[in-house]
Amino acid sequence: MSEQKLFTLRNPWFGAAVGITGGIAVLSFLAGLIWLPLAQPDLKISGIWDAICSAAGVPRAAPQSSVQQPDFKTSSVVLTSEMLTHPDQVSIGRGATLAQRCAICHGPEGVSDANSPNLAGQFAAVTYKELNDFKAGARVNVVMSPFAATMSNQDMLDIAAYYAYLPRVPSNKIDAELAAPRIVVTGAPMRNIPPCGACHGDIDTKAGSPWLGGQSAVYIKAQLEAFASGSRHNDISQQMRNIARQMTGEEIDQVARYYAAQP
Amino acid sequence: MTTESDSHLGEAVAARIERRWATLSIVVVGVLVGMAIFIGIDHATMPQGHVETADPKTLHLTGEFIESNLGSAMEADGSVTVRAIGQQYSFTPQCIVVPSETPVTLRATSADAVHGLLIEGTNINTMLVPGYVSELPVRFKAPGEHAMPCQEFCGIGHQGMWAKVKVVDKTAFLRMMASRRRLSCVD
Repeated sequence: MSEQKLFTLRNPWFGAAVGITGGIAVLSFLAGLIWLPLAQPDLKISGIWDAICSAAGVPRAAPQSSVQQPDFKTSSVVLTSEMLTHPDQVSIGRGATLAQRCAICHGPEGVSDANSPNLAGQFAAVTYKELNDFKAGARVNVVMSPFAATMSNQDMLDIAAYYAYLPRVPSNKIDAELAAPRIVVTGAPMRNIPPCGACHGDIDTKAGSPWLGGQSAVYIKAQLEAFASGSRHNDISQQMRNIARQMTGEEIDQVARYYAAQP
Repeated sequence: MTTESDSHLGEAVAARIERRWATLSIVVVGVLVGMAIFIGIDHATMPQGHVETADPKTLHLTGEFIESNLGSAMEADGSVTVRAIGQQYSFTPQCIVVPSETPVTLRATSADAVHGLLIEGTNINTMLVPGYVSELPVRFKAPGEHAMPCQEFCGIGHQGMWAKVKVVDKTAFLRMMASRRRLSCVD
């Protein structure tokens, strides 16, 4: 074996290896960070330094454009998947007192036969979001809107925490025999209808999507029709309108009947 | 027992083989870099040349991705800008309408998970990553209808996430656009 040192420029192998690797790196740098950005006419690069920054991923401000404002109120609630999942006892207690005024429609324990939503056990983010939307006018209802108008943010948080704390009371309409309709189980992919449970809690929960089990069939049907027609539009970025619009009348009936019979 | 000449011969063979393998590796790297350059120049794929950010949690509050600003917009230079968002589990707008033979800038982002935007029958294919705006310069050749499925697993309802793209004749598009500021083909 030769006693020659490996890592020295006097070793021709070492010199060639480092030289060629470095050469490829420099050429790739020139191509990727300068040539390619400059070759894209849509990028509007102003110089070499701009090309390097752009290709290396330095964030750029969005181009100025006029934004078309809505002619109706949209929801202004910011939803995250972990929001309101750790309520404190004081909030629940305050909510219990505040919720007395809700009992006339929603029942003293959050369950009623008045075809208004059963709120016992509802996700706190859902109750909080809907109260906010009623207050802001993003969702309108002759009975609910005046109630929400006077609520503070803390009131809404407390009421949401209280109803989330209440156990879901099985309604007397439960029918375990009722088979889940196809639209609930698989949706209709080509019409952009995912399975309901992908968001509404049966399989996975998307923040802001309500638990549907045990809700009144009349209520579910009315809401789906309101989403489909666009008269209800407080779903952020049309997430529910996109789906309800594609559902047939028969499918809406099936979904309403099925969820009314679920715990 | 090896002799002096045997070991010299062995060294020469080893050096030759090593040189050939090194050459091969350099050629492989060179071809890969060349391919990346070619598809970048040729627009076979369209790697985005710049980075823009957008807060996925507040897209619906302010900025260009609010609901009423989504869809196709006519620009002063005669091009069309299409804005869309992907969310669990739909694209908004559900039906995008664009003119044929017109430069179109597609701007889209995600409101939650990573989604994929792919327009069937074209080379339009990009990821919608929450926090970042994806922008593609595109041009549709002929009128027609294309499916636009989400091509990146985005959650349990991913398979139900489909939109449509309708390419219409340029004059028809201008007629549709005449009375509107933003256009989509959602019924």
